[in-house]
Amino acid sequence: MSAPVIDVRRVHRIYESAAGYVHALKGVSLTVARGEFLCIMGPSGSGKSTLMNLLGCLDTPTLGTYLLEGVDVSTLDDDELAELRATRLGFVFQSFNLLPRATVLRNVVLPLTYTDVPASERRGRAEQALAAVGLPQEFFDHRSNELSGGQMQRVAIARALVNDPAVILADEPTGNLDQATGQMVLRTFRGLREQGKTIVLITHDAEVASWADRTVHIRDGRLLTDEEERAAVAASSTRGRGRT
Amino acid sequence: MKARDLAYETFSALDANRGRSLLTVLGIVIGISAVIAMTALIGGVKQAMIGELGLNQARLVYIQCWYNRSMEVSDVEALEAEMADDYEYVTPLVWSGTDVISDTEKKSASIQGVWPSFFEATGVKLVSGRFFTEQESDTGALVTVLDQASVKNLFGNADAEVVGKTLRIAGAEYLICGVTESSGAGGSNPDYVQLYLPFSTCCSRVQGFTTVDQVYGFAREGSDMDAVAQRTTDWLARRFAVPEDERENAIWVYTMASTIEELNSMMMSFQVLMTSVASISLLVGGIGIMNMMLTNVTERIREIGLRKALGAKSRDITRQFLLESICLTMVGGLIGMALGYLGAFALSGLAGSLLGYGEGTALTPYLDLQSMLLVAGICVAIGVVFGYYPARRAARLDPVESLHYQ
Ligand SMILES: Nc1ncnc2c1ncn2[C@@H]1O[C@H](COP(=O)(O)OP(=O)(O)OP(=O)(O)O)[C@@H](O)[C@H]1O
Ligand SMILES: [Mg+2]
Repeated sequence: MSAPVIDVRRVHRIYESAAGYVHALKGVSLTVARGEFLCIMGPSGSGKSTLMNLLGCLDTPTLGTYLLEGVDVSTLDDDELAELRATRLGFVFQSFNLLPRATVLRNVVLPLTYTDVPASERRGRAEQALAAVGLPQEFFDHRSNELSGGQMQRVAIARALVNDPAVILADEPTGNLDQATGQMVLRTFRGLREQGKTIVLITHDAEVASWADRTVHIRDGRLLTDEEERAAVAASSTRGRGRT
Repeated sequence: MKARDLAYETFSALDANRGRSLLTVLGIVIGISAVIAMTALIGGVKQAMIGELGLNQARLVYIQCWYNRSMEVSDVEALEAEMADDYEYVTPLVWSGTDVISDTEKKSASIQGVWPSFFEATGVKLVSGRFFTEQESDTGALVTVLDQASVKNLFGNADAEVVGKTLRIAGAEYLICGVTESSGAGGSNPDYVQLYLPFSTCCSRVQGFTTVDQVYGFAREGSDMDAVAQRTTDWLARRFAVPEDERENAIWVYTMASTIEELNSMMMSFQVLMTSVASISLLVGGIGIMNMMLTNVTERIREIGLRKALGAKSRDITRQFLLESICLTMVGGLIGMALGYLGAFALSGLAGSLLGYGEGTALTPYLDLQSMLLVAGICVAIGVVFGYYPARRAARLDPVESLHYQ
């Protein structure tokens, strides 16, 4: 078995805010194998986004180690982290985060401008990524704010793909979409998984989680095993509270 | 991030805010156009002066001395020989006057007796023919050079072919060997005639004695004119045995350089005044740019967060915003240069008549490459100075927080 793409070991994240300390992650350990489609599921405020930001090297753990493709990211400086984000990581956000005035192609090319992919190769790679998410060619020169939500999210996935990253990180990618559109986006992720991409997807929706190879549950900053999760759900329902 | 990508980002960002950007650079436009208008006007005045006086004038020294006796040709020759380190030539002039008769006219002419080096020293330009030669000058040949205004007054037409014709001066026939550009001294006076004769000819045939009225020294290139003038004064004082307290009255050594210098310094103080007014405008303009860039950064916090998530380094963000502010100030600068140059044309008539250059015609605004580059440099500097803080602020934003900024 090859080394995992993501190897998180006993990671803590403590926020310091005006209201005091918030212990958002409490000793999380997690590995993701190459080619795996992992879903991280948990209720609101459980620490999903916090974990995602750490995995995406946008934030650093207060304690513990994170190895991305075997590299301990705590040894890297800001520029090296940026380099890592540019070349090894792809992000998909709940709110798409496209540049609204720019064309679809320009949006997908954007990450390439921060790497040393030669200008002559950019367009080809962007078109390839857009083809991989199934966006019809006729939209390539549209402004991104002229697209539907589902189309926008597929452009965003193409943007995450274009650098051929080690892992694609998606934080509630279907959160702003209706059921049918959400299904289409999930099918896109599934298709990428079949092509061998590594995907980590965050959701609080069990239906969404069913598309993944494996699901881990997070509650109150801790990862739970399936049994622990069932116990936790059972406990909360006996207390008369519905499942989040 | 490559230069081309940066340029693309800058262009699209400015394009998105066209109206606001243009309003913001107004301060820069006003400041730069004031600077450029002034510089172009002053440049025009300088050009007019150089055109009128000739470049040679800056190297010319006017020398006169009278103490118990006048200057003689021998004094001039001694001066030229002994101060050869300072002067390329020293050349005498004698003023005289007599009647001159052409085929059709008889006029009273003002006559200057000179050596051939006089023409080179004073930068008089030939229109046709030639100046007289050393040999003609030494032997007292009967040759003459006159200016176009005199040709017109003697032959009826300034462009008449007169080289080779003769003039009758003081009872002798003189061959016209050359015609110079009109000096403008006589204006349109129909009785004005001015001739050059060889110095020795003038002394022996017209004037009747050999004293020198005026001496011109043509300093070597790159000389310190004040020092040359001082050494000349000392030399004359020794030669004429002028006591210390009589120097002021007896010796008169004068350089055009000092006149040009004086005018320059007058215009410099004018320019300093205008520049300080302009810098206030540039300062206000710069603050406007900074304000707009800060607004820009705030409006685009999410975009900045996104770019960082996609792999932009801090310096990519800094460069992007810095280039944007530099472009703003450069655009302002270019508009300002164009407006300022046009403004200088509008003002040149006024300035021309104020400075006495005819009916506001002689003055053409003039901008040299150096001042344009300087102004461009100032624009870049303003862009950097006032864009740096907003750009750094953008670069320091935390990616997580900015991605979720509402
Ligand atoms: N910058 C911050 N400063 C202080 N506390 C924070 C900060 N970011 C998150 N938290 C806290 O950390 C905890 C986990 O937040 P996180 O955003 O990871 O939750 P989440 O699982 O993504 O929730 P949701 O499903 O609502 O997005 C929450 O209690 C939150 O209030
Ligand atoms: Mg979240």
